[in-house]
Amino acid sequence: MSETPPAALPDGAKDVLAVEARELRAVESALRERFGRFGYREVMTPVLEFAEVIDRAQEGGLREAFRLFDDHGRVLVLRPDLTIPVARLVATRMADHPGPVRVFYLARAFRPPPAGRPRASEQRQAGVELVGANGPGADAEVLALLVESLRAAGLDGLRIGVADVSLTAAVLDGLGVEPDARAALGAALGARNLVEWRRLARAALSGPDAELLAGLPGRRGGAEALEEIAARVPAAGPACARLRAMLALVAEHGAGDAVVIDLGVLRDWPYYSGVVFEAYAPGVGEPIAMGGRYDGLAGRFGRSRPAVGFAVTLDLLHRALTGAEAGPAPPRDGLVLVGGLDDDPRGAAAARRRGLPVVALAASDGDRAERLAEADGWRFVARREGPGYSVLDRATGQRTSCARLEEALPSPA
Amino acid sequence: MPLGALFEDAVRALGDAGLDVAPLREAGRRLVVEADGTTYITTRPSDVPTYVESGAADIGIVGRDVLLERSPDVYEMLDLRFGGCRMVYATPGGEDPTPAALEHLGVVRVATKYPATAAAHFTATGRQAEVVKVNGSVELAPLVGLAHGIVDLVATGRTLRENGLVEREEIFHSSARLIANRVSQTLKADDVDRLLERMAEKTS
Repeated sequence: MSETPPAALPDGAKDVLAVEARELRAVESALRERFGRFGYREVMTPVLEFAEVIDRAQEGGLREAFRLFDDHGRVLVLRPDLTIPVARLVATRMADHPGPVRVFYLARAFRPPPAGRPRASEQRQAGVELVGANGPGADAEVLALLVESLRAAGLDGLRIGVADVSLTAAVLDGLGVEPDARAALGAALGARNLVEWRRLARAALSGPDAELLAGLPGRRGGAEALEEIAARVPAAGPACARLRAMLALVAEHGAGDAVVIDLGVLRDWPYYSGVVFEAYAPGVGEPIAMGGRYDGLAGRFGRSRPAVGFAVTLDLLHRALTGAEAGPAPPRDGLVLVGGLDDDPRGAAAARRRGLPVVALAASDGDRAERLAEADGWRFVARREGPGYSVLDRATGQRTSCARLEEALPSPA
Repeated sequence: MPLGALFEDAVRALGDAGLDVAPLREAGRRLVVEADGTTYITTRPSDVPTYVESGAADIGIVGRDVLLERSPDVYEMLDLRFGGCRMVYATPGGEDPTPAALEHLGVVRVATKYPATAAAHFTATGRQAEVVKVNGSVELAPLVGLAHGIVDLVATGRTLRENGLVEREEIFHSSARLIANRVSQTLKADDVDRLLERMAEKTS
């Protein structure tokens, strides 16, 4: 007797079964509905793109991505994120759109999993791009939409940290930090190494300037966190004023309580040019959403326009919503009908027309009806009984007789 | 909390910063210890970044050697200035076998518990190395012909001397670091900042 070899999946890949799929779809539709209320329209891009096009988004170094060849030997990638393909789409296909362009996507991105880390190689993402609108108002709309859509999905305890790469650059300019030191500071920040950042800051400058720079990534809070910077480094004044104005607008959207200044928020990708932000949820050890402004990105593909957007990682959002305390899913309104496949398709069809999901079984499979209902989470099990049906309600354990199947449903209150 | 050499100093540093560490001293073999306002998780040093990166722990104390080897996605917040030691390349005493190995074999064979660190060091210095990962008693490897040399952490150098090994190159200095999870650093900013401030006072 030969055994079937195990049907394994590659590292980082996973199947999604019915309960998780339904929960993910519920999250998606909550986000989709909110994106729509702000006038964003859905777009879709292909999974496969030319590597040369995707790699244009950043100088130096290749992005982590699955790479393969087409039949002419050209290098393709499985899209490693959606921001770059959507920027390409808007810059090329919508170049004559009067703007601002508001688009959203619900799609999967593919990234090789790092060795020894439990990260999925395929990530479901939901995001928006607001293209062709500059100024604090556009940033504020995108932040408010992020807060509203995550809350609409049911998330509590949301916190969004906001920084601004142009502000950090203005502070470095204003303090007169040399280019070599800037590069080293950037590398330290990219590695989240605050020990190294402080050491470099104190090596590059002296006195209160060094302490201001050393403490920069640790600055958090409301608008007051910006005032000292603006006072001490006049060159950073305009960037501070812009960020303050944006925070005030976010508050008018009704999202101010979730948004804080956090100059430690970093972005590894060099295409960001203005605000950058990350969304945190209790119980999830990495940001569930990230975004920012990248005014230089679209111009690498076609029509150059300023842009701001975000991407939510749906699996992390789902994890934040589900948590460890989620119990078994309650049974759903739906009915397993013994004989629905052969004895009584007419009764099944009638009930389906009334909107009741009916799972049909052959008459000879009656002994597995309850087990099937339990495995798939259906609330009712029905059998023929005389001219009508005997229906078991698994939620209450009660058995009732009725003439038509849809009578089993509790009457709408 | 890292088990082993850093543990005592780490307990003292947290106690000095005002945390309730008494239950930690009486923990015995328990790995999760509840104290007033703090839950302590005790684990092997090399696992500390894993717990912090995933958010199972908000902050952790671990040597810089582990951070450089593992490159975890965590914030390195503070140099705690204890647990000082050095990462070195060492070979048996007498003539250094490294140049001969490189000349005749093209590669030098290096045994280590820190394969990423060793590989990066030899790459950075333009030499080819075959890195052999071992899990303990690294000093043994060159004595029995498994490798030409070792890359390992030394505090006093006594273990090297006792095994007839000589330090040839220093790779970096290490000391204990306070690390923080990306999300906790913001969601629990008040707690993290308060602790950081008190610990910074003690270490500066």
